[in-house]
Amino acid sequence: MRAGFVVTEVLNGFRRNITMTIAMILTTAISLGLLGGGLIIARMTDQMRDVYGDKVEVTIYLTPDQSAQDPDCRASPCTDINKQLQANTDVETIDYESQAAAYERYKQQFAGQPELLEIGTPEALSASFHVKLFDPQRYRVIAEQFDGKPGVQSVADQSAFLDRLFSLLNGIRNATIIIALIQALAALLLISNMVQIAAYTRRTETSIMRLVGASRWRTQLPFMIEAVTAGIIGAGLAILGLIGAKFLFVDKALGPVIRSGILPDIDGATLVWVSPILIAIGAGLAAVSAYVTLRLYVRL
Amino acid sequence: MDRLHSAVVIHSSHVTKSYKTSTRPALEDVTIDVEKGEFAFLIGPSGSGKSTFLRLLLREDVPTSGDLEVGGADLVHLRRSKVAAHRRRLGCVFQDFRLLTNKTAAQNVGFALEVIGRSRASIKQVVPEVLEMVGLDGKASRLPNELSGGEQQRVAIARAFASRPLLLLADEPTGNLDPDTSADIMLLLERINRTGTTVVMATHDNAIVDSMRRRVIELQLGKVVRDEARGVYGVGR
Repeated sequence: MRAGFVVTEVLNGFRRNITMTIAMILTTAISLGLLGGGLIIARMTDQMRDVYGDKVEVTIYLTPDQSAQDPDCRASPCTDINKQLQANTDVETIDYESQAAAYERYKQQFAGQPELLEIGTPEALSASFHVKLFDPQRYRVIAEQFDGKPGVQSVADQSAFLDRLFSLLNGIRNATIIIALIQALAALLLISNMVQIAAYTRRTETSIMRLVGASRWRTQLPFMIEAVTAGIIGAGLAILGLIGAKFLFVDKALGPVIRSGILPDIDGATLVWVSPILIAIGAGLAAVSAYVTLRLYVRL
Repeated sequence: MDRLHSAVVIHSSHVTKSYKTSTRPALEDVTIDVEKGEFAFLIGPSGSGKSTFLRLLLREDVPTSGDLEVGGADLVHLRRSKVAAHRRRLGCVFQDFRLLTNKTAAQNVGFALEVIGRSRASIKQVVPEVLEMVGLDGKASRLPNELSGGEQQRVAIARAFASRPLLLLADEPTGNLDPDTSADIMLLLERINRTGTTVVMATHDNAIVDSMRRRVIELQLGKVVRDEARGVYGVGR
């Protein structure tokens, strides 16, 4: 069997079944585009977790009394806290910030807002230990160890804020993937429909093939190739859509946020990473759907 | 009867075929043998079971009971994966020709060879040969709608014969043709039969059956009611 012969048959199939093929390609493209979007968000979330994980620190705020009485941390309980932190294997680095240093940072932070500078006094701020952990997820261990200890006012970390951010991103990712799955179901049914119509329009060919003793795979192959080709074209459109969305929407709308490092950039590598996944899913989805349809609904 | 005897092409022993939708079996206790090189007519009124029998021979359907063998292959227990190989040993011709309207005469014959995996070189050689044999050597590049009914049936016969089948099944091949054209088609089938191909032809055409004086197997309500070596369509018909 010659490849050229199969290609001609596939092209004829497309030509005869053009409207249904276009519908199937577009549905597949939307489904895979959304799925690709979901995958990109998931990857971005992971990247953000890595980036922010490095920056997350636990802060142990000392009581105002303690902060005022022992500004340089020379006596108990401040030295006790320091020793216990040094002994803790989860701890990577420890920075002690005195009341005066905290005030300096406050002044720098709000340099452009004189009204805030006016109400801020060194006494209103606490001295603190800025603790960086090897694993930021171990925050709770530190909190349990030091909460309520003498001289400790509170233990705080930034992970609560990050948790909220990540849960928002996860929500967007999940919603995108759920819509993608519903679309994928629609694409699956359209592929099945397309194959049934293709088999119907070519029933004379297939009945002759069956009569003269063409093998089953030989009879099915053009339909499979047709569906898989349409699936791959759909995946190609989805990839183009994602590239378009990056340059026309994401880069424009979120450009400043990305440049400031708050959100990671959707770079070429991410698109290169997601493209083969989408092509494989597009081709696989089409092949499975076409095969099942041919087995169950079409007599070949 | 020695079933292993290579001369037997069709061995049908007590074959019954029933359909759930019908109270009477389409075929009932059909026992016949057709030997290699034979030309047999399968006659009987509509609904007598002729087409059902051809369908069983093609393995489009399986007998409800009985034994059915074609060329030594047990069609009752034939595995699904072996059906295509079985059909490659048969040729089929129908009343409605079943040609691909968008393909020329040569392409129609070539298509049948292409889909069973014959090489390009072999197709290039066989197609003109077989078109010449059926008398269409000058019309190879015509589309079916540019050919007469008789010529279209010749293309269908060429297609059926191109792979030199063991058995040629013809279901009312002259049903759509005028008497003169029918006579030409019969001459062609006879020629094919002389090459050693067994021919089984279902027909209503009494003139043809009477003039050929070949074996006649008559079915009525699914039963074989007559099997004559050199028969006619029927007395008083």
